[in-house]
Amino acid sequence: MTEIRISGGAVHDPANDVDGAVRDVCLKDGKVVEDVGPGARRIDARGMVVMPGGVDIHAHIAGPKVNGARKLTPDTRRDDPVNRTSMLRSGTGGLVPSTFTTGYRYSLLGYTTVVEAAAPPLAARHVLAELRDTPMIDKAFLILMGNNQVLFELMRQPGGAASERLRDAVAWWLEATGGYGVKLVNPGGVELFKRDNGNVHSLDDHVAGFEVTPRQVLEAIGGAVDELGLPHPVHVHANNLGVPGNADTTLETMRTLAGRQAHFAHLQFHAYGRASGGLPSSRAPALLDHLSDHPELTADVGQVMFGEAVTMTADGPVGALLRDLGAEAWLNHDTEVETGCGIVPYRYRASSYVHALQWGIGLELFLLGKDPWQIMLSTDHPNGGSFLSYPKLIRLLMDRGFRDEEIGRANQRAIRRTALTDGLDREYTLNEIAIITRAAPARRLGLRDKGHLGIGADADVTIYHDRDDREEMFATPRYVIKGGELVVEEGELHRVEDGVLLSARAEFDPEVSRVLEPLFGERYTVAFEHYPVRDPALREPARVIEAAGS
Amino acid sequence: MGCGLLCDDVTVETSGDDVRLRPECRLGARWFAERTRLTGKPPATINGEPAEVGAALARAAELLRSARRPAVSGFEGATVEDARAAVALADRIGALVSHGSLDGPWAGAPAVPLRGSSTATLGEIRDRSRVVVIWREDPERTHPRLLGRLGFGGPGERTLVVVDERETATAARAGLRLTWSRERDLVALSALHALQRGLTIRLDELASELSGLLERLATVHHVTFVYGAGLTAGPGGQRRALALHELVRSLCQERHAVTLELPAAPGTRSADDVLAWQTGYAGSVDFASGHPELVMATEPLDEVDVTLRVESGGSGGALVAGPDAEVWIRTAAAGVSAEGTAHRLDGVPLALQAPQADSAPTAAALLARLLERVQG
Repeated sequence: MTEIRISGGAVHDPANDVDGAVRDVCLKDGKVVEDVGPGARRIDARGMVVMPGGVDIHAHIAGPKVNGARKLTPDTRRDDPVNRTSMLRSGTGGLVPSTFTTGYRYSLLGYTTVVEAAAPPLAARHVLAELRDTPMIDKAFLILMGNNQVLFELMRQPGGAASERLRDAVAWWLEATGGYGVKLVNPGGVELFKRDNGNVHSLDDHVAGFEVTPRQVLEAIGGAVDELGLPHPVHVHANNLGVPGNADTTLETMRTLAGRQAHFAHLQFHAYGRASGGLPSSRAPALLDHLSDHPELTADVGQVMFGEAVTMTADGPVGALLRDLGAEAWLNHDTEVETGCGIVPYRYRASSYVHALQWGIGLELFLLGKDPWQIMLSTDHPNGGSFLSYPKLIRLLMDRGFRDEEIGRANQRAIRRTALTDGLDREYTLNEIAIITRAAPARRLGLRDKGHLGIGADADVTIYHDRDDREEMFATPRYVIKGGELVVEEGELHRVEDGVLLSARAEFDPEVSRVLEPLFGERYTVAFEHYPVRDPALREPARVIEAAGS
Repeated sequence: MGCGLLCDDVTVETSGDDVRLRPECRLGARWFAERTRLTGKPPATINGEPAEVGAALARAAELLRSARRPAVSGFEGATVEDARAAVALADRIGALVSHGSLDGPWAGAPAVPLRGSSTATLGEIRDRSRVVVIWREDPERTHPRLLGRLGFGGPGERTLVVVDERETATAARAGLRLTWSRERDLVALSALHALQRGLTIRLDELASELSGLLERLATVHHVTFVYGAGLTAGPGGQRRALALHELVRSLCQERHAVTLELPAAPGTRSADDVLAWQTGYAGSVDFASGHPELVMATEPLDEVDVTLRVESGGSGGALVAGPDAEVWIRTAAAGVSAEGTAHRLDGVPLALQAPQADSAPTAAALLARLLERVQG
């Protein structure tokens, strides 16, 4: 392994209370170490900014949903080809890049760890195969459990939501799939959509056929994840995404999970009030107030960026809603027992009231939030925009003049319904950017070796020119080091690393199989014994993070 | 594996050359039997003469290196691992990649990118659809266990509607038959779409049949359309497929409606998915320019001089290279003597078992060796 001394850079390592101190960072055997020998490669980082590698807590990069989007949108990639080289595989970019290109481009952006935020457990083999073809980054995926009929059945059995069987089942599913965490998407609503185009509208609506409610699903599965002590808490895409007035649902969801650790995905899409005429308004301040009082809750923003996007979600009803708003193309896919999927290419227009409001609400969440450790950067790639737009988003947060220019381009009626015109002059510091793009996501994911540069941390490091133009600065890191190896230099990939799969494991009573097997037999078209992924080629190399309760 | 349904509930019993499957499946039994009778076959041939695998690989590499317009094709019964290795090789040598037959009629440009589609896994259809419309396919012959796996013959009422003027085994099971000719499919689909939207149109002899179908659809919350090359192949195929997806999309306003495609080349779903994730494009992809390009032409192989076929033929899997199948290398048959992952026709990935021992390497392993030789 290479030994590297990064010398003389301004280090931003907020997890270790280092805010721009000029110091050396030493790397050896893939880890941050105290010191290295005189023969170590020296990277002169004087005048540069040194941060841990970026960590994306919520993106969509692999699996049948993402691949469905690729098949649906070939035109968006035609003008963005990536040529093969002696070292690199060819591919295509666009909003939903091919797998190799996804890995390369995340690396070129200074990101070293990415979480696929919504994978059907039944499709785990597909997800794992795609992730194996996504180089340069360490990767994890969250398994969808909010509309799982087998879990619904367990909730109805004696002992119900508090049942040990449910905890065992959640742990079994993680073991069976290689997943890292648990995602709930529109709990109960997707099942009703697949049944007869229905949906739930409140936490106490009944899910026909199962007599459970979204609230019970949140309590039962959120509780199970919390009790298991998984490294990442339950990851919630709340009910009523995109619906005017949905902030009440979001707040009620937060209250339902009170006292438990939970992460709320793409909060912007769940932060709407209801203005006259049925239009949405901003309720971002109310959600931030609640978060401020509940440190056990965190969120990523799901910022929308003006321009092209591809919405892709396990929330089938949302896909259908966008279809009915005039989408040219719409893809729906229902996965038995577990989940749904809706995909619609989309464009966010600055002139649109709704889109400008969404954009403004995202910025409100960033700029009004008191604690950057609670509000993390995401565009819900590619739902709000590509991950390639992160540098522009960072500039919006760091550069008030630029932000004001962009605000001036947006629909003013919408902007007036946000706090952006109230003298909101906050500019993020480099340390705050380091928090929302690496330190906080890594901490929230329970990845103790990532998101910081303390001794023993993974040697994932990004070094930037300290440019006034923060967009340019964050778009083209000077160096990226992955696992202790220099992989990117001045916008060029120099070395290909595979990255590892990150999985979580919690102990469970193997007797749970006796409970699950008959339920599988009734519902799945795949035999119970064939469901778990055992192939080492799919599951390795992996780093398994043990649950705290194990 | 034989039809892409990947039935993982079957037990294979062999006695001599006799192969039986439980539950019974004649197509599956034949498929297994063809892949378990491998005696006497050399591991490789060059121009029909037995050869060492290494020598065959060297000749295949030579052919591919010197090719002006190489192509990689086949993939019937290929695993995800086979397809990954094949696409990696195609990328390196700048080949055209296409799954399925390159000699038959062009399946036509896909309709999905234009308007999308609504799809579901088998279990969703089995548990929710009360009307299943089979559009000009005969799964009783081509996918013998499909109807059973969609719930027909099991508990619960469901109606099988068959659109086909031919007297097929599937049509014989239909609760409702619609017998207009294939030439009228586009008119029928468009009329159904219009009627479903409440438009008044002038109908000819199709009127009563279309009304009968709409009446059935009106009574259910969930409907499935099963289609394949019978609808999409040949001139106008894309328009017919598009009309079906438009109809389904429109039906979704009032109920849940999904489609299930029976691919023209069974067992190619894995390759299609791998191609999509590695290149961004499904179907046929050309690497000649150094990056993937979607092939939309009707005759994509006009200039191809060397073809590498990833086959799962009657005498075991094989790699075949050359303008005249000059090189043949036997591979272990996925799902018989080679493990791996395959995607069911509805996209569900499954692990394949290898109940029979075979010393032949997998296609993936051979393709990896071939890539090394091509690069070397």
